[in-house]
Order: sequence, then C-alpha cells, then structure tokens
Amino acid sequence: MGLSQPTGLKSCWADPHRVARHKTTLVGRRRQHPHSISATSRHRLFTFPPPPGYRCSSATSHRGVGESAMEMEMDMEMPDPEELEWMESHGLLPEEEDVYFDDPDEGFVPPPGDSDQPRDSSQPPEPAAPRASEASEGGLKRPPPPPPPEQEEEERSKRRNVEREDEDEEDWLRYPPPPAPEVVVAEKTISRFASEIHGDCVPVTAPNGERVYAKLAMDGLAGGAICGTRQGANFSNPNLSHKGLLSESFHSLTRRAEQEALAKALQESTDSVDREACPVTPLVTEKLWVEKYAPNSFTELLSDEHTNREVLLWLKQWDSCVFGSHIRATCDDVLSALRRHSSNVQKNANNKNFFSKTKGGPVDMPLNAPSSNPEGLGGSFSKRSPVDSTPEQKVLLLCGPPGLGKTTLAHVAARHCGYHVVEINASDDRSASSIETKILDVVQMNSIMSDSKPKCLVIDEIDGALGDGKGAVEVILKMINAEKSNNFDRSTNAEETQARKASRKSHRMAKLLRPVICICNDLYAPALRQLRQVAKVHVFVQPTISRVVNRLKYICKNEGFKTSAIALSALAEYTECDIRSCLNTLQFLNKKGAALNISSFDSQVIGQKDKSKSILDVWKQVLQKKKLKRAGKSESHFSKDKDTDSLFTLISNRGDYEVTMDGIYENFLRLSYHDPMLQKTVKCLDILGVSDSLTQYVYRTQQMPIHAYQPPIAITISRMVAQVEKPNIEWPKALQRSRTLLLEKKDTLKTWQNQMSPVVSRHMSVESFVQDIASPFLHILSPLSLRPVALNLLSEREKDELVQLVDTMVSYSVTYRNTKFAPQERANISVVPHDVPLLSLYPPISDVINFKGYQSEHIDLSLAMKQVLVHEVEKQKIIKDSAGKLLNQGSDGDTRSEALSDIRKKAVADSIAPALHSSKDSTKRNSTTLQMQPNSASSLNGKDPTPAKKHSNRATNFFDRFRKERPANGKTHTDAGQQRATIQRDSRPLIFKYNEGFTNAVKRPVRVRDLLLS
Amino acid sequence: MEIRVRCGCGDSSCPEWAVVELQGAVQPQASFSGDIRGLHIGRLCSAPSPSSSKGGYTFTVGYHELAGTKVTLKKPLLVLRKKKLTGGAADQETPTAAEVELEVIGVIRHKILFKDRPKALISKPPTKEKAAVQPAAN
Repeated sequence: MGLSQPTGLKSCWADPHRVARHKTTLVGRRRQHPHSISATSRHRLFTFPPPPGYRCSSATSHRGVGESAMEMEMDMEMPDPEELEWMESHGLLPEEEDVYFDDPDEGFVPPPGDSDQPRDSSQPPEPAAPRASEASEGGLKRPPPPPPPEQEEEERSKRRNVEREDEDEEDWLRYPPPPAPEVVVAEKTISRFASEIHGDCVPVTAPNGERVYAKLAMDGLAGGAICGTRQGANFSNPNLSHKGLLSESFHSLTRRAEQEALAKALQESTDSVDREACPVTPLVTEKLWVEKYAPNSFTELLSDEHTNREVLLWLKQWDSCVFGSHIRATCDDVLSALRRHSSNVQKNANNKNFFSKTKGGPVDMPLNAPSSNPEGLGGSFSKRSPVDSTPEQKVLLLCGPPGLGKTTLAHVAARHCGYHVVEINASDDRSASSIETKILDVVQMNSIMSDSKPKCLVIDEIDGALGDGKGAVEVILKMINAEKSNNFDRSTNAEETQARKASRKSHRMAKLLRPVICICNDLYAPALRQLRQVAKVHVFVQPTISRVVNRLKYICKNEGFKTSAIALSALAEYTECDIRSCLNTLQFLNKKGAALNISSFDSQVIGQKDKSKSILDVWKQVLQKKKLKRAGKSESHFSKDKDTDSLFTLISNRGDYEVTMDGIYENFLRLSYHDPMLQKTVKCLDILGVSDSLTQYVYRTQQMPIHAYQPPIAITISRMVAQVEKPNIEWPKALQRSRTLLLEKKDTLKTWQNQMSPVVSRHMSVESFVQDIASPFLHILSPLSLRPVALNLLSEREKDELVQLVDTMVSYSVTYRNTKFAPQERANISVVPHDVPLLSLYPPISDVINFKGYQSEHIDLSLAMKQVLVHEVEKQKIIKDSAGKLLNQGSDGDTRSEALSDIRKKAVADSIAPALHSSKDSTKRNSTTLQMQPNSASSLNGKDPTPAKKHSNRATNFFDRFRKERPANGKTHTDAGQQRATIQRDSRPLIFKYNEGFTNAVKRPVRVRDLLLS
Repeated sequence: MEIRVRCGCGDSSCPEWAVVELQGAVQPQASFSGDIRGLHIGRLCSAPSPSSSKGGYTFTVGYHELAGTKVTLKKPLLVLRKKKLTGGAADQETPTAAEVELEVIGVIRHKILFKDRPKALISKPPTKEKAAVQPAAN
C-alpha cells in the first residue's frame, strides 16, 4: 500500500499534463527533445510560456554583439557555466534572474517599450494594465498559462528571423516578420543544451518532460523592483491577447482541461484506494486482473501452503529482534486463520477485514508458548530454539519459475507480520554503492513517520542483473558476515542485546536487523552462489492445477468471462501454473471478446515472462518424458509437436550448448530405456558425435549461427531415450576431469622433455613418445635379465646391461623416486610391506599408458634393484655434470687439457680402485655407452680451430682416460677438496657469525661504578 | 663518588683508538679447541671496497668478508686502564675505591661499523686447482 502511494499521486499529476500536451502539440509543435525525465515542479512552472523578453534579448544581444549570423552562432556556442548553474539553482524564481543577469550588452538594450515592440506591433493595444491584473495571480504557484498560439508563431518567426539577421539587422525589430512556415530550424535561442545558449537562459520543460533552454531577455526587466509583478504580467499577457486561431484563449482551455483531469484523477484515486492494494494509473480504465485479484492476505495466497508457512515462520523469528517482544509464537488469530485456510483452501476474501486489522501495526498479541500450539506450526516451532533473537539464516531466498507468486508471497507475508515492505526491483538502480545505502537505510533505520512499522526488504529478481545485481548480494553477504564475527562475544540475554544496539554505531558495517527476502528465478545463478549458502532457501513448486483453476474460475466468474473448467485447466497446464500469465491471457481474451479455446493456445498470445531455465532443468526436460495424461489419439500428435517446440525453445533459450550436450552425454546412459541391441545407445552416441564435431566446426570457423542445429540433436536424443520416471541427473564432470588430467600429464611430459639431454630430446616429441615409444621404453627400463643380486655378483654381461640401463636412464633423465603408493596399487602389490618406501619411476611414464583395465606387460624391477639404479643414476649424473664443466675448461687449449688429464691421471693413480667397476670392463663400456659424449663435446668445441679429426681423437683419448677412473675421480676430488678445506679452516680458527635482523644486546641501566670497581 | 682519572699523555696527544662494531659475533670454530688468545682474527683493510664509493673498510674474518664504514661517535669514549695502587695491601681481594686508579690510554672518536650482511668467501677447490694447473702448463 505504502509503496504504491506515490505512484498514485504521480498519476494524478500526470493526467493534466497529458491533456495539456495535446494542446501543445496542437498549437506549437515546438521542438521537443526526449531529454529530461525529471519534470520537477519548478520546471513545470515554466512549462509553456517563454517569457516574452527572451527573444527580444536574443535580438538585442545579437544586435550588440554580432554583425553576421555566423558570428552570433559562434557566440552562442560559448556557454556561461556559472551563470547557468546559478540559474538552475534559482530556477524557481526566474523573474529575479532577469534582474541579476543583466547582459553585458545592456547598453544596447532598448527601453522596455521598445522591447515589446516587435511582439506588439501586430497588436498595438497591449497595455500594462493586464499585467497588473495578473500580478496577484503571479504570486500563486500555479502552472503558468501557455502562450497563445499566435504568440508562439511570432516567436518562431522571430527566432527564424535571427538567422537572417545579416540582411535586415534592425528592421525586424520594428516590423513584424512575415508569417513563416512551421519549420523550426536549430536555432540557438532555444536549445536542448544550456551550454549552446550564450548568456542567460531559462529551462523550459514541456509537459512530457522534455526540456529545452530558452534564452532570456534582459531588456525590459531591468527595472528589478517590480520584476515579480512584471513576471506575472508577462505570463498573463497571452490571456488577453488571444486573437489566435482558437476561438477561446489557449490559457483558459488548458486550465479547464486541467481542472477536469484533476477532478477525475482525484475521484479515481479515492475510488481505488479503498478497493485495491496497488492502484494503477487512473487513465487505465480496467485494471490488470493480476493486480486486481492479487492476494491481499495470507489466507488468499495461492502458492504452496507449506512454503507459505515456512516463510511466515521465518519472518516470525525476527519478531524478538525487530519488535523487541520475547518469544512470539503464532498468535491465535493467525493459527485459526491458517486452520481455516487449510480447511477451505483459499476461498474468497471473507476475512479481509480481519487481516486489514492485523495489518494495522505490529500489535503484540497474547503469546502462546510454542509447545502449546496445536498442530500445524507448533511442531515446526518447537524444532527451532525460540530464544534465538534473530533467525540463524538472515536472508530468505525464494526461488521458482515466474508467475507462481513469489513476490506476492513475500509482500503478503511481510505485511502480515507487521512490516512495511520495501521492494528493490530489477528496474531500480542496483549498482553496489547505491544499493548499499538503500539496504542500510531499510535494514537499520527506523522510520520517523507516524506508522513506524519496521521495514522488510524485498529484493526482487536478485539474479536478474549480473553485474549490478551482484551489488545487492555482496552488501547482504557483507552484513551477514559482520554479524557472524560479532557473534563471538554475543550472549543471549537482553541487556547484552541492548549494549550491542548501543555499540552498533561503532561498527563500520552493522549487521542485519531486519528481514531480507530475496526473490530469484534461477536458484543456481552464478551471482547467487554465495548467498545460497547463507540464506534460507525456499523453492517454489507449482501449485496444483486444481487450485489454480479454482482461482481462475472464481476470477472469471467475477469478471463475467465465460469459460469451461477444462479450458482453464488446459491453460494452467500450458502456462505451467503461471498464474500471472493465465490471468493476463484471460483478460486479454476477455477484452477482445474472444473465448478461451484449448486448441488455439499456440496461436493465442500467451504472455510469458522471458525466462531461461537452469541447465539442470534443461537436462531434466530432455531426459524425462512428459506424462501424457489425457492425450487422446487425436491429440497425441499435437502434443508431441508442442513438446518438440517447447524443448526447442528451452534448449535454445538456455544457449550454452556445450554444457547441455555434456550433461546429456553423461546422464543419458543412466536412464533405463529399453534397448536390447544397444541400437539406441549407439545412435545416441553417434548423434552426440555429430554435435561434438558441429561444436568444433563452429568454434573453428566462428560461425555461431550453426549452433542453431544443436537443439534438434538434443531433441532427437530425447525422443529416443527419454523416460517417464524422474532421471537422476548429475552435473557432468568427465570432460572437466579429463581435460585437467590431460593438461597435467602434458605438463609433466613437457618438463621431463626439457630435463632430458638435448641430444635425446630434440629427436623426440611428446606426442610421438606417448604414441610410439612409451610402452617399449618401459620395457627397456625394466629388463628381465637383471637379477636382483649384489653388484659384484653380476656377470660381465649383466654388468654391461646395468651400465647401459643406467646410461639410458640418465640420458632420458628418468629415475626412481619414493612415492606413497595409492590404495589401489597397494591392493595389487599386497606383498610389499606397508612401511617400505615404494620406488616408482619419475617422471611417471607408466601413467601415460595406463588405461582402465589395461595391464602393462613390463615387469616392475625389484625394490633392491631400483635402489641400486637410483644410486647409480645419481652418481652418473654428477659425473656427467662435472665432465661437462671440465670439458668446457679443457676446450680452451691443447696443452691445458693435456695437463688436466695428466693431473687426473696422477690423482687417479693413488686413488682407490672403484668398487663397482673394474678398469677392464669400463674400457669396453665406455666405447659403447659414451659415444654421444664425445659428440656433444665436439659440438661444444665447435669453435675450436684445431682440425676436427684430431680434436675428436684427442677428445676420445681424454674421455677414455677420464672415464676410466670416473668413480674414483670424484672421490679423490672430494677427498682432496675436503683436506684443503680443513687446512684452510684450521688456518682461520675464528669465524664471523652474522646476527641478522636483531641484536642480542640487552639494554639495562648500568652504573659506571659497577663497571669500574668490581 | 668521585673517580679520579689520570691522563699520562698530553692534551692533544692522546692515542686514537677505534671501535669495530660488528653485526654479529666473532667466535671460534666449533671444532677448534684451545686457547683463543693470540689468534689471528682477521684482516682489516681501509681500502674501500669497489662496491661502496665512500671510504670504506673491509674486514675479513674466517670465510666472511665484511664491508663497513667509518662513523664518528656522537660522544667520544675514553679508554681507561684500571690500576691498583701499590700503596695498599696488594693481596687484598676487593680493592677499595681509593686503591684503584684509572689511567687514560686512548680516546675513541670513531668507530668502524660493519652492519651489512657479510659476503661469503667460498673456497672453490676446482678453481684453485685450475689456478694450480695454469702455472704447471706454462
């Protein structure tokens, strides 16, 4: 009620304007621009009459300023911002402006008589007397009368005349210009933008809200003291000088029309106030049925009873917080009402009076202990702790398809609980900043008006706007979170609550103190994800068709519209119990005088709110066959068509075909359709393949229109596999999972490839490795012939093989690593004790060829063998690294490398022989396994000027020598290094220990005496 | 109480001392055992390190090189030496104030402040070897 009041008022005002606009268009056809919407009262003051002075001023100023029209135009372009601003702020008193904003060209201003000359020249007897007579009227704040048409004409002609200024600069002032055709060119005396007008201007707002700025004349109004009266006089001038086209003065015409409209509007508004909740614009003779028959009280609600009660219950939980009363269970009235409600389902408004009484205010009714409540709400009340000052979930989220009465329920329930409903709609400004203040206002402030009802915020269509709508969600979430953080130091007793209320101001973000009801269509909209977790969610379900039909019947009876119950139920079914849509359709038909016809629903316009269902719904629709209830044989074809159509629109409205198809793909196999030969399945998969390639093609060629062929694909599948029973639909995860897995594996392979020695990796792409090499490679890495025995027990051949294996592993940079084995692995290898670390290949190449149900044939090496291998590989790696370094150094020159090798030799001589390899077999091994090493060496030494042959020769030589003692080499190295290090260390027994970041000093007062004498 | 301080040297000829302030501690190696007295702590060079433009000092302790600057103390410090007067009983355990004499042996007007993180001098066996190789090759 309270909400709609302003609209009612507005409409009262709107009416006279509408009438007046007709006049204007009749008369003036002035240039009106759809510019300003804010037709405030002060603009309305200047709606019609441009003060007679202003055109004169344009003339005079022009006369002073420019010789040519061009020049004037340029002058006009220059705005005078400060003046304009001032004018804006003082727009209510234009007559004063006349005084204060004297043109700089005032010297050129002709005397007042002169200024009137051009206008009056056609009608010389325009005395000052009428001005005086109108002076009294000028004081009244009334919409001033519009100028008579002829004056407008004149004005226009004058304005046009300005353009021809260069021709007759002075003459036009004296003589009236010839009547001109009604062509209004863009002149600068009147402009949409104040900045285009040079000098002073006055905003002129047309009745339809369009605003132009008109130039102000300074000439005759320089007098100042009498400006008020003069202004009145100016406005009233037209009154007497009506010798225009109309028989009656335009002014009087307007006034009469205005009065008539006002009377009408008043009457309508008074009529409607007592009758309806939301008075619509009085101009509409017939109200929308949807509003007319909107439920006014809780008992009239059509939506699901359970939901209604839950909502009411939730609202009631706020009582202790909002109204300060302690425990407020349902009062007797409500209970009885509810009982009545449940007994005779929502009959007409026989108890309206009762509810209007309760609506009056939050009158505290006698409280019942929750336990004493009889059936119904009592049970649900006792479930929750009634002591709680505010409900656990601060926000109620109602969601459901359109037209089921979510908004109505929110309004009715809130009003019923004694709240003043404040609705924030999709059409309101919902940017984060503006909504924050709004919500804070609603939620925290108390109205100081006479009816100090607490407010209840209803945010409608919170999921609607993506970017802006989030603002509201964020603000609410922030408030809820603030509440939660405060909850720690919160206790239940009342004093504490008081204290909190007092200290509330100190908090930056205060908590929610008033119920907030959010309404959305799609519960799973991304914007609502967070809200969903904290809010109490109620999903609206369709009311039973019989309920809807009952209500429709009642309405039809009231409206005198003849229908049959069957038609109504068909309509309800078609619209999916969208009552709004039903009512709108019925009203439309009623207006047209047509009858409701079942078969022509498609042709009839059934207005439905534009909606896109959630993706889950889409899948459900695709995979679930609709129950064919009373579809006769004749109808089945028709209904099938309808189904197809609805599916098509559903899917194409949803849009993201990829997800749709994914969901179908992953869910359709769970259906229990009859398919003994798997033909349907194969066909479905084929079709899905087509869809896949279609998608691929679309994304490759960017031809989005081809997407239009996706819905039929889904429909085909639906035709084949859809079942009547409810499908258990899950969100498709397989694609996402496999995609991440693919990326992960690609990544590991890529890094692995980078770690390999370039000699190997440059010949191997990851793809070819996976497709061709991986499996044989694993075989190579785990040779069968390798016995898990101590190394010195191996035969020559086996040693060879081991060395080769190690070399392969090094050059492919494969090693074994400790891993915690996965449970399924453990099941396979149950022999492995639990605590023994499991060594597995790193990088996990075996994963690449690991498929479900595929057993790779390579055998795993024994743990001991693996450990040996790890050790060897590490050793080899270190050796290779140092070899690489030495190579670089050695390539500097012949002599140096020679000397180096000499030294090596010496070092080797006194070193211990390697434990693993005897020098004998290592020569042989070197020749086989390390061929690539010289190559890489030579490539490294490419810049070496010495002949390649000789170089390589020497290199092999060098490496032979080096390789031979390889294991020992490192050891001696480290030994020697260590010795040197110890010597050096001993030579400097004192080391410096840096204390970073802090000082160890303890500061305490000390007396000099203590220092000196002790 | 009055403390008598005697200065042997003249007004202007007091020997200048300097304080070396370190962010950290100089300590013996963990493995070192024995008397730390008389050990060579490190090398303090007044040569400015190439990195710092101002006149700086480098201090090499162990395998650390510290770079520091010379800072003038706000209040100069005196270096005193406590002397027991022989007049009293020499074998007295706690000398009384009258028996103690303080002698100025220096003034400290500056300190050398090493506040930055030390640079580690890492001994690289290969490099040393290489250095050893080169003369051999030649």
